[in-house]
Amino acid sequence: MAESIRIGVYICHCGINIAGVIDVKQVVDHAKTLPNVVVSKDLVFTCSSVGQNTIIEDIKNEGINRVVVAACSPRMHEGTFRNAVEKAGLNPYLFEMANIREHSSWVHPDDPEGATEKAKTLVRMAVAKARLLEPIEKSTAEVTKKVLVIGGGIAGLQASLDAAERGLSVTLVEKLPVLGGKAALIGDLVYSEKKGWQIAKELIEKVVTHENIRVLTRTTVQNVSGAFGDYRVSFVTEPRYIKETCMHPEKGEEVCPVEVPNEYDFGLTQRKAFFKPFEGAYPPTYVIDMSACTKCGLCLDSCGKETIDLDAKPLEFSEEFGTIIVAAGYKPYVPTTGEYGFGNDTRIITLSQLERIMSENGPSFEDIGLSNPLENIIFISCVGSMEESDNTDARTYCSRMCCSSSIKNMLKLRELFPSSNIYFLYRDIRTYARREEHLYEQASKSGIIFLKYEASNPPEVSINGKPSVKVLDTLVGKRIQILADLVVLANGMMPPSDILKLRSLLKFPCSPDGWVAEAHPKLRPVELPSPGVYIAGSIQAPKDIIESIISASAATAKAVVPIIHGRVELEPLVSYVNEDICGACGICVSTCPYDAVSRVVLQDGRRVARVNPRLCMGCGQCASACPSAAMQQKSFTDEQIHEMIEQLVV
Amino acid sequence: MSAKVVDQTNYEPKIIMFACNWCAYAGLDLAGTSRLTYPANITVVRTMCSGRIDPSFVVKALTDGADGVLIGMCNYGDCHYINGNYKAMKRFLFLQKMLDDFGIERARVRIEGISASEALKAKRVITELVEELRRLGPLKIEEE
Amino acid sequence: MKEKPKAAFYWCSTCGGCEESVVDLAEKILDVVAAIDIVFWPVALDFKLEDVESLKDKEIAVCFINGAIRTSEDVHVSKLLRQKSQLIVAYGSCSHLGGIPGLANFWNKESIFQKVYKEAPTIQDETPILPQEETEINGLTLTLPKFFNTVRRLDEVIDVDYYIPGCAPNPDLLLEAVQLILSGNLPPKGSILSPNRNMCEDCPLERKEEKIQLQSFFRPFEIIPEPGRCLLEQGIICLGPVTRVGCGALCMKVSMPCRGCYGPTDGVQDMGTKFASALASIVDIDDDQQFMKLIASIPNYSGLVYMFSLPSSYFKRKNMEAVKNE
Repeated sequence: MAESIRIGVYICHCGINIAGVIDVKQVVDHAKTLPNVVVSKDLVFTCSSVGQNTIIEDIKNEGINRVVVAACSPRMHEGTFRNAVEKAGLNPYLFEMANIREHSSWVHPDDPEGATEKAKTLVRMAVAKARLLEPIEKSTAEVTKKVLVIGGGIAGLQASLDAAERGLSVTLVEKLPVLGGKAALIGDLVYSEKKGWQIAKELIEKVVTHENIRVLTRTTVQNVSGAFGDYRVSFVTEPRYIKETCMHPEKGEEVCPVEVPNEYDFGLTQRKAFFKPFEGAYPPTYVIDMSACTKCGLCLDSCGKETIDLDAKPLEFSEEFGTIIVAAGYKPYVPTTGEYGFGNDTRIITLSQLERIMSENGPSFEDIGLSNPLENIIFISCVGSMEESDNTDARTYCSRMCCSSSIKNMLKLRELFPSSNIYFLYRDIRTYARREEHLYEQASKSGIIFLKYEASNPPEVSINGKPSVKVLDTLVGKRIQILADLVVLANGMMPPSDILKLRSLLKFPCSPDGWVAEAHPKLRPVELPSPGVYIAGSIQAPKDIIESIISASAATAKAVVPIIHGRVELEPLVSYVNEDICGACGICVSTCPYDAVSRVVLQDGRRVARVNPRLCMGCGQCASACPSAAMQQKSFTDEQIHEMIEQLVV
Repeated sequence: MSAKVVDQTNYEPKIIMFACNWCAYAGLDLAGTSRLTYPANITVVRTMCSGRIDPSFVVKALTDGADGVLIGMCNYGDCHYINGNYKAMKRFLFLQKMLDDFGIERARVRIEGISASEALKAKRVITELVEELRRLGPLKIEEE
Repeated sequence: MKEKPKAAFYWCSTCGGCEESVVDLAEKILDVVAAIDIVFWPVALDFKLEDVESLKDKEIAVCFINGAIRTSEDVHVSKLLRQKSQLIVAYGSCSHLGGIPGLANFWNKESIFQKVYKEAPTIQDETPILPQEETEINGLTLTLPKFFNTVRRLDEVIDVDYYIPGCAPNPDLLLEAVQLILSGNLPPKGSILSPNRNMCEDCPLERKEEKIQLQSFFRPFEIIPEPGRCLLEQGIICLGPVTRVGCGALCMKVSMPCRGCYGPTDGVQDMGTKFASALASIVDIDDDQQFMKLIASIPNYSGLVYMFSLPSSYFKRKNMEAVKNE
């Protein structure tokens, strides 16, 4: 009944890459001595069509039913050879590779004997595993033709627009009551005739009028189930509490007695619990912040009872999506109280706050109690970035946009206050992007004073009537003290506060710096390891507007492919349960990071664990956790790995 | 049983390395493409994730003739499968405690985060382990 | 009348519990005796070794051997019985896996003798005497079996046909085995005569949560477990998940954790490392230092998890050389 195992072994010369070090003949002869090996050959370039054809011919003529190629890394050519094997009519998973180039000839050039022995061991291991390989059927699943975009900042807006333009149905969710993200709060940009809020506005107009896009503000993702191609996402939408029938919401705002710091001005101003986020915000409607509202009822009196419903219930709903684009943005670093004097004096502000002051839709210097004109203005760079610390939560990265943003604002302040002295206390000037270096030049020429400090010796800020800044200028080696009318702390960017929630919902890893870890930083920069999930904008790492838009378009380009294809290929090397052995202890259920394993009841009443192959990503964590060897991973079974181990010493 | 008599001049330790596909294995590939060199005492068994590596593989390797075992995983935060490397580390720490119980030197089994770009680290770790095992000599457990 | 098949029972290094389990067949033992002719059973019947020696080779149809291999006598008698028997069944944890006596593999002969014959608080002798394999008295030589450094399983010294697991085995398994052998419908050689299934299947305790996420471990006396609830889920180390069925989940029926005496399922070679892997997977602590603290809080993990199986583990025994070198 069981077919007899006939293994073909092919040892590659890779020109001289392998044969220049390893005695290929010896390895071929060694393979011939191994059980079940019926063909053992050397080939000059196994990946060439000649090489592939030799394998195909042997499968057809010699009845080879397991193939071992000893050549380069499987990360290089495993796919090539699987295809060749499949072309010959054999299941592509009856193939195993021994890496004798990257792992032997290239790293042991001075030890040909050792390299040859190691090649023999690797071939023995591959043959031992091949003997136990089982065919694996590839399977596919249908894709729901809808894209979910999480985050309504410029990246999310651009991504939605791109997908919609390709004719796909898009749902865009934003947790805040307004679209446009941080860009909508910024005025002038570096090298752009359009302001930040104008760019946001243009995008928003296109998005909200697009027939393929459904926009939901105040909406958060609650749960994600299902799998690639068919993600089932549940949402909750918080009500605005103010009905469209309310004709004079400004009256409600006026009478509202609750005041809280305005997050849209980064705390520079106060807002009411009944408020409109900022001038020009979209949607241009008022909203009640229920976390601050005391339900005093004053707004009901002035607006009319029937126009406001303080007890409105959140709306819960769920939908299916084929792919998901995560564009959840960033949050600005907020210095701790006392960090460079922050919080101790209104004249010490962050760069985010300054951007609001400089923006047309933000408060003015007068609004925050700063009298004109400002004489001495000091910027301090790298606040909350480039930290030199061994703490695991230290922000050791560069936030990338703060140098340009600081210099841009210095030049604007120079125009506003021509007689002012502007100082930049910097660690490093990184006006790295295209068209930005000239900003630095321009700033230098305009008389802005650059003073370099070291991380080990940061500026000290004390309040002495005015903020007083002491710094050791490392270029001249002198300690300098300046009394300032305005101190701007160039605060960096941080991963958004809900990144951990998104991470657990969408099952993606984060890098040690806290930002999202993409599937591969160079080869798959906008994809997450979870299939069908993509990243756009600054949730990946600090980005400026241009980069955010580029990454959004890139992510969408990727996210629409499976939908256009209509079907997705599922991971073949999944785990599976031997239900005869399994007693449903459930350790695998607890181990699986993808919730792909669950306990089910069989017809005879026995309970066993079962893997959902659509959710399984093929890591095998459950297989090593299974204490009764009932759980195995295809092509990485316990038995196969044991056999390989036994080949080390024979 | 007589004390360990090891011919230090001829003894070459044999090491199995279990390496995850995405980081450690790729890091070793990079060592190859960068033409770094390290001793040929180590043979790699690839798994998709370090979370597939079971302490029983390690002890089986040791009792089947390996003098040392190296587990190569992604650095924390880099795991392709969310947290397989945390599992690998926890299993390794558990195993270390067991190695103590059985009088097997901790130095024989090592775990390292090696990213796809850390070819130099791969080289350093392997070289160090080989040297350490040369010093320790073969693993011999008395019988009967 | 047709001659009844001959059967034998023997004990190597053992506590006698396996013999008890035979007696636990109660009146069913009469059925067994009716079907077979017992030719050797040192604990119960007065046969001598010479009686076995005088049998023809393979004359015994089936021989049940319990106990671990600790001394040269165990080896000698086992080999003799192998020669005289058609089938050898390793009976009980000790012959199957090494059993409780196998825990002695955390020491060796020297350290055991030192402790037992020299350091034990009950030793009064000024010059303690260690057991000698040969002693001359009045011109005569008295002998004692050789005491090995390492306790072994039965199948390390003779070929074993079948295994009946358990400390002690469930008597029903013995009865089933006898019936199976009498029927001639034999399973493949090397089979363990208890289903190849995970213990949790038989366990009467129920899980409360779908996922086990442990922050701490308890010994059974340290907490009062919630009745009817999975013990592992409550932080009590229960070896049920790494153990095969056959006993009827006796311990869990009285809310005690499984200690693994039936050994693992077929695919698992080493209970200790396998269970360490499983336990590490359900501990909800990712910080290395904290995790190490937690596992350090388990008293003698290796002794616990290899309580019945140390000689059959990958480790097999403690490396005493490393101890010497310390």
